[in-house]
Amino acid sequence: MDISLKVFRYNPEAGRTKPAYDTYLLNGVDPTDRILDLLEEVKDYHDGTLSFRRSCAHGVCGSDAMRINGVNRLACKALVQDLNSNSITVEPILGLKVIKDLIVDMKPFFDSYKSVMPFMINDDIPEDGKERLQSIADRERFDDTTKCILCAACTTSCPTFWSDDKYVGPAAIVNAHRFIFDTRDQAAEERLNILNDESGVFRCRTAFNCTEACPREIHVTQAVAEVKQAIVSGVIK
Amino acid sequence: MTTTVRKIKKQSNFEITSWKWMRYSAVALLPLVWIHVLIKDVIVGVHNIDTFYVRDIWAIWGWKVYDILLLAFTFAHGVNGLRNVSMDFFHSEKARKIVDWGLIVLWVLVSGIGALAIIAGARPEMLV
Repeated sequence: MDISLKVFRYNPEAGRTKPAYDTYLLNGVDPTDRILDLLEEVKDYHDGTLSFRRSCAHGVCGSDAMRINGVNRLACKALVQDLNSNSITVEPILGLKVIKDLIVDMKPFFDSYKSVMPFMINDDIPEDGKERLQSIADRERFDDTTKCILCAACTTSCPTFWSDDKYVGPAAIVNAHRFIFDTRDQAAEERLNILNDESGVFRCRTAFNCTEACPREIHVTQAVAEVKQAIVSGVIK
Repeated sequence: MTTTVRKIKKQSNFEITSWKWMRYSAVALLPLVWIHVLIKDVIVGVHNIDTFYVRDIWAIWGWKVYDILLLAFTFAHGVNGLRNVSMDFFHSEKARKIVDWGLIVLWVLVSGIGALAIIAGARPEMLV
């Protein structure tokens, strides 16, 4: 099949200081090709200056989140046949400063992530001196939020984040949830205090964009609601 | 299988109060609005409502209280929603404080004037 691939271009280093779209006509595209394959083809055979992030190319590293036909997806997971169109538009994710073509500045995103202390905090010595045991039910409680790959698809699909980059964003809340609901962790209260802020969890307006955008199918909005509930009730269960 | 329940110190600040208010006022609004719609739109009918009807209904203190509550709750719910939306446009702490206080004053003024009008009641004979 033939595909018309429209790509957002902005490259101040090469003198393209004005954002614009370039369209590439790609012939013989297989419906099972990924959008990443199309971008690779453009880079290899049409325009070597096209810039985008990619690493594992298998939906694990989270490098290649981009807006594909208006929806945040991973370019390595989105297949041409999934889009039901011969015309495909690829743009950088919203709400973060574009550095070059499809590459955005991820620093504000990772600053928010770091702000919730996304690591295990427990200064006690385990009973057997080796490991902290946990029941199956307690481990399952936060299983969903362990799946996050920090691709930023959720945060950059959030209307609150688009208008206010101080908002901590769904990805940071999901990663806070992963530790808040982990019975082995001892800093839940501290994390909830951080999220109980003007730029914290209560800025979420339950738009559900994050849940729809997540390539790992994490129930993001539910995780955000559970964090809100824990703050309001003072109970983590 | 049950999970371990842990308790933490209950927190309280303006954001929590505002978030709770949105939920509680919404619950309160359900019966207030639906009873209002049922009576005015279905049972009485909007075309049968005139100043004489308003005079008669506001002669009863229960309906006066009901309408004041309806006005205050609905407007507070809306104003709080507006506050949330305004945060998308006002990013500095100072600007947000000004907007917050402005909206609180607006709520007090509109609810106060509305309450006064309801308490004063309707006098259709003045219109003749």
